[in-house]
Amino acid sequence: PAFRRGLAKEAGPRTVRQLREAEEAAPVFQYAGKAAKRKDRVFVWGFCYSGALGVPSFVKPDVGWKKPRRIQPTPYRLETEEKISSAACGYGFTLLSSNTTDIIKVWGMGLNKDSQLGFQRSIRDRTKGYEYVLEPSPIPLPLEKPQQTRVLQVSCGRAHSLILTDSEGVFTMGNNSYGQCGRKVVEDETYIESHLIHQLKEFDSRVVQVVCGQDHSLFRTKKGAVYACGWGADGQTGLGHYNITSVPTKLRGDIAGVNIIQVSSYGDCCLAVSDEGDVFGWGNSEYLQLASVTETTQVNVPRHLPFKIGKIKEAACGGTGNIVLTEEGNVFVWGYGILGKGPNLIETAVPEMIPPSLFGWSDFNPDIRVAHVRCGLSQFAALTNRGELFVWGKNLRGCLGTGRMEDQYFPWRVTVPGEVVDVACGVDHMVSMVKSF
Amino acid sequence: MAAVPGGLFAVYKPAGVAWGRVREAVETQLLRELNAAAAGRAPRQHVRFLPAPAGGDGGATGLVAAKVPVLADHPLVRGPRFRRLKIGAGHRLDVKASGVFVLGIGDGNKLLTDLYNCHLTKVYTVGGLFGKATDDFSDTGKLVEKTTFDHITREKLERILAVIQGTNHKALLMHSNIDMKTQEAYELAVKGLIRPMGKSPPIITAVRSLQFALPEFQLEIHCLHETQQYLRKIVHEIGLELKSSAVCTQVRRIRDGVFTLDDALPRTQWNLQSIRNAISDCQLKVKTELEKTLGYQDKSNLHKMDAEVAHTADS
Repeated sequence: PAFRRGLAKEAGPRTVRQLREAEEAAPVFQYAGKAAKRKDRVFVWGFCYSGALGVPSFVKPDVGWKKPRRIQPTPYRLETEEKISSAACGYGFTLLSSNTTDIIKVWGMGLNKDSQLGFQRSIRDRTKGYEYVLEPSPIPLPLEKPQQTRVLQVSCGRAHSLILTDSEGVFTMGNNSYGQCGRKVVEDETYIESHLIHQLKEFDSRVVQVVCGQDHSLFRTKKGAVYACGWGADGQTGLGHYNITSVPTKLRGDIAGVNIIQVSSYGDCCLAVSDEGDVFGWGNSEYLQLASVTETTQVNVPRHLPFKIGKIKEAACGGTGNIVLTEEGNVFVWGYGILGKGPNLIETAVPEMIPPSLFGWSDFNPDIRVAHVRCGLSQFAALTNRGELFVWGKNLRGCLGTGRMEDQYFPWRVTVPGEVVDVACGVDHMVSMVKSF
Repeated sequence: MAAVPGGLFAVYKPAGVAWGRVREAVETQLLRELNAAAAGRAPRQHVRFLPAPAGGDGGATGLVAAKVPVLADHPLVRGPRFRRLKIGAGHRLDVKASGVFVLGIGDGNKLLTDLYNCHLTKVYTVGGLFGKATDDFSDTGKLVEKTTFDHITREKLERILAVIQGTNHKALLMHSNIDMKTQEAYELAVKGLIRPMGKSPPIITAVRSLQFALPEFQLEIHCLHETQQYLRKIVHEIGLELKSSAVCTQVRRIRDGVFTLDDALPRTQWNLQSIRNAISDCQLKVKTELEKTLGYQDKSNLHKMDAEVAHTADS
């Protein structure tokens, strides 16, 4: 008779049939459905002490034993309530804006000593304002129709900021000692804790892009005209003189009558791209930015730059170097500083192409193209059509986001967990808008 | 006459067999053939004075000269001519994987070390299946979880592959131990020749999706310093990143440095003549590759030595 224990099951490997049945009976988990949407995120990195990154625990840690973080060397996620559509980095402060129809459309963080973030009322003393804003705080705008107007774009300069709306013109705030806010210069005006936000409406047509240089402002209208105001000692206002302008005035020179589709500036040099693919420049030329047309170091009238590199799609100006993107997807740099072609290329007056293999192009991936180029004060950024971000230039206080503190002499990938849609470069920090996978 | 061949050749390792068994099978087959060829050698003859066959009644001991084979040459005394062959293996393949497996015979074993130091990329065809996660990342393991996968599209997969390539490209540059601030590093980066020439963690240089038919998919992966289990782990991680799960069904090496699938001998051709032909076919390819890679490295080693000498002279 066979001995059966009766209580326990027989030992031995499970048969193939048993395994298959167990597998089919296992529950199926669903992590993402067919309609799963990709989320929009904001990543920041760079110098933290100014508060420009918007994470208060970097400057004032939550726990007593932690030390304040001076530099955030790799991208750090910034939690925002709304989807951010436009961001701009100034000199120690950041503006984020969303094109929602809610009341609060713009948030700012960082330095506020010139009220470049508007009046941020202090909680402790209701009459005083904050000098440093450590987390994204709403900026109240004096809109006529706050629930219908949308904010399209923001831009930041050294100590002033511009906010572009779709139907109510441009709002300016911050330092106005050179008229960069578009209003008359008031002698001995105190800019700290100022409630004044100026509104600019008189242009020939609707303003579609606003750009801040260091102490000047540029406005591009729908008809293709460019207006400027602010400091002009380097000719960056392009109005034919080297004085201050406090009212936005239309630029003439080589761009009179030309339909400009993009303007760019960050330091004291300015570039404009026309719809036919030509590039025009004016402003500071001490670093050979405009040396291809003139020997003078300041150009106060827009001049056409005759480069034979193809039709130009996008241009960006930095403090000492310039970068353009052509229709074929090639990137050209010129100027002074770390331009991205190794440590040997320090300065050039004629644009030099950066080889596409540095952006990931190879025989295996022949359809990688650079889609956008951006410039900070001494660093460059390029976005490819695959959503990768490449940076190079001087790594001032960790602003490149590579995780290392050394300067980067050729384009280097920044590891961001997502597809980078847009990036804004500042002096010592950067903000990027990213779509999750 | 039956000389042992010397050189490198590639063999197609089938799945389900350990690499050691493949090496022993090739060795056994070669030994069999070499011994059979050597056995045809006629034994030496020598003259011995043997006693004549005794005719009549004993006593008459006449010696007759006769040419007899030397006993020492008898096959049963000597034994087989070859008892072992020096066959070395190149980059190994584990039991479940299949594909090109490089072996070296005799003098070719020295070239094996040189080939290893070249750090050339290997190409694999990796097949995966969405919807399952197992403990050893392959479809024969114990089931851990089942998930849905109908939200996965080819575009999402390509996006993940682009990210993998990006992070691995960065790892490639970082582990190659070159100072990023030199002009030399910039020029190598432009040409795409930066590679880690020493030990490094597994790095994937390129990925591409070949087929995509839910739930199956197939990838072509070019990698360095990898193991097949690492590739299965990558498939599992791709599944996780796509918010589902994946197991690896097939890992097949289609290229190992300069040896491709065309050079790999199938099991029916594991004999002496085919191996000799394979060695002579691949000889030139291997030589040029070694000179190209190690020749450059010798030059850069000389540069480093000169720089060190100059530095010590200054300080």
